Amino acid sequence: MRIQILVYSAGLAMCFLGASAARSADGWATAIPPPARSTDTISAAKLAQVKPGTSTKAEVQSLLGAPWRILQFNDCGMSMPGQADESWDYRGKNAKGTYRVHIEFDDSDVARLVAKIPDHAVGVKGTRAKTAPPDMKVAMKM
Amino acid sequence: MSHIKPQLAKRFGFSVLLALGIASQAPAQGPAAVAYPPYGSAIPVITNTEHRSGAVNEDTQKMPAPNGPNEESIWNMKVEGFNDNQARPIYQPLIVNQDGREIMYNGNLAGTAMNPLTGVSESNGTSIIDVTNVKKPKFLFHIPGPDPINGSFAAAGAQMVRVCPGSTMPNAAANGIAGKFFLLRAFGNAGANESHQIWDVTEPSAPKFLTTIIGGLSNTHKSWWECDTGIAYLVAGSKADGWQQSGSTQHVYIYDLSNPAKPVFIRQFGLPGQQPTASVATQQPCLNAPSDTCYEGTTNPPGGVHGPVSMGTVVNRVYMPYGVGASGVIQIDDRMKLVNGCKTSGPGANPNASSNCKNSPTQADLLWPQVSWVTMNPENGGHSSMPVFNVPIPEAQSNFGDGTPESKSLLFVSSEGTANNCFGQAPHDSWILDIANEQTPWPMATLSVPQFPGNFCGKGARFGAHAVTEQIYPPYYGKIISVSWFNAGVRVWDIRDPKNPKPIAYFIQAPNSNTAASCSTINGVTNCFNATMNDYVEYDDRGFIYAADRAGTGVTILSLTGEARNAILPQSEQ
Repeated sequence: MRIQILVYSAGLAMCFLGASAARSADGWATAIPPPARSTDTISAAKLAQVKPGTSTKAEVQSLLGAPWRILQFNDCGMSMPGQADESWDYRGKNAKGTYRVHIEFDDSDVARLVAKIPDHAVGVKGTRAKTAPPDMKVAMKM
Repeated sequence: MSHIKPQLAKRFGFSVLLALGIASQAPAQGPAAVAYPPYGSAIPVITNTEHRSGAVNEDTQKMPAPNGPNEESIWNMKVEGFNDNQARPIYQPLIVNQDGREIMYNGNLAGTAMNPLTGVSESNGTSIIDVTNVKKPKFLFHIPGPDPINGSFAAAGAQMVRVCPGSTMPNAAANGIAGKFFLLRAFGNAGANESHQIWDVTEPSAPKFLTTIIGGLSNTHKSWWECDTGIAYLVAGSKADGWQQSGSTQHVYIYDLSNPAKPVFIRQFGLPGQQPTASVATQQPCLNAPSDTCYEGTTNPPGGVHGPVSMGTVVNRVYMPYGVGASGVIQIDDRMKLVNGCKTSGPGANPNASSNCKNSPTQADLLWPQVSWVTMNPENGGHSSMPVFNVPIPEAQSNFGDGTPESKSLLFVSSEGTANNCFGQAPHDSWILDIANEQTPWPMATLSVPQFPGNFCGKGARFGAHAVTEQIYPPYYGKIISVSWFNAGVRVWDIRDPKNPKPIAYFIQAPNSNTAASCSTINGVTNCFNATMNDYVEYDDRGFIYAADRAGTGVTILSLTGEARNAILPQSEQ
């Protein structure tokens, strides 16, 4: 089973790279892998398999599908201290309502944190994120 | 309204009606009449008639505390409209009057999102939105940005936008560009093969790629394009060009884009100490060890330029902020000498320009156009530097000097807050510099937003100044100034008494289901927050105010109300 996941992940990664290489010089013909619709929700059980500190982008995509949105906030060519290199957003739903799943990756394309942010939580100050174990954080320069 | 010029009064009255929501939302007729930078070189005349006691003794409303985190907070402003920008995070918005249609161009940060118009997930590029009817903005088109490289979006995005009408360019008829509109945009962010592009956006719902001005760049950033001369100040870096910076690695490439299809390179420019031949290993600060090989500012080599602002041919000055969020320098340059300083004859020319002046200038080449420079404290950088000329000083309308009423030219400078939850950074503010004597700019006042009430360092995302509004809209010019303040939203000050600037309005957008989480690790605990980040605030030529969100929440269209509206109205109409 593990091998199957790896093969699938590798295949997806290859598609991703191949699609990326297909753009034209003016940036017109983009070819990002097909995303989930922005209203699609993900499986909580599969989300639980995403492990900060070990799960790669390809593994996350094989588990959850393509994110509905990808963000990369670095501007001015500067890496902002303590901020992600790239984040992927998914949507989820449970008995309490809808939420966003926010997964941040480091510059090695390994997930550094996973958080579930309620959509309609007025007054909430913050949501504790799932992060890599402390010894791995050091290695990841969090 | 007698003190306002008739033509201005007509536009002003129409704009105020719109801003008040009294007028219908029918499109304005005819082309834009603005001739202020960047569309022309005229500067509005400020005719403030404040009482000599200024703002000090005014009976003013106390700034109310904002609502709790996740909630909208608004003071002396009204929400007129909204567009979600396809959930893309906006860096720079620009609203352009295109023959009576008000078109918004949003430069987006890197990433990808679904474009419902095409059914395809597109790399974030340039959003084009018709905001003629502010109640119902219509998303017209998304021009994609660069695709990811090896699966990473680190080099993607198209953050910056400028638009010029072809009609205002020199030789418009001969070049066949009269009646057309052109978009200048950055293509890529932090990669090694970026560019600045030009698109024909005459029909904004069907933009056409025109040309790449220059490729092989890195760290493209906020450019300026003079629509009456075609001169463009493009911001970028390139490993191949040998320029040297600390932190953000950008300098200026100056081009003549008066014929947008045929860009003409003029020169590269930056601070002394950044040029390719600078001896970074041995050079000393110009501040206390001036020499032929020194660097300006507090860091060696100096930080990169963020975004030049040219005030055109009449004022003949270009204002350049360096450093972005740290070790800042603000430089004032003679525009003519800057543009023509690598020539050896003609207006602005430098008879002693070096043979490599265009690409690898000497320090003397760089000093030729420099009027003055100010070193900021190292905790803050130069993000914005926007001048406002000849603001009457209320207390100095009599009694001082020979009794002649005194006005001052001002430079509004901002640093950029860069850390989530303030962790690891100093406060980042905005300042008013007195540039009446431009050889010796001097601080006049600070524009600051208090951390409390609001607990802005605790609510998530960034807190601090970012960008000063750059669009010149006469009824606002010299009366109010707006600065984007990330999670503290749009902030508006009454600057009619610039020694005592007064907070007069704000808007903090509520997060929605598209708001990207902002996470930070403090003392070993990582929390993610649901906060908007106002990245830029801009005006259109009707007076509507646009709050663009960096966290993907969308763009909110606002108007002024109450005391803030009164600040721009003549006393007889308040």
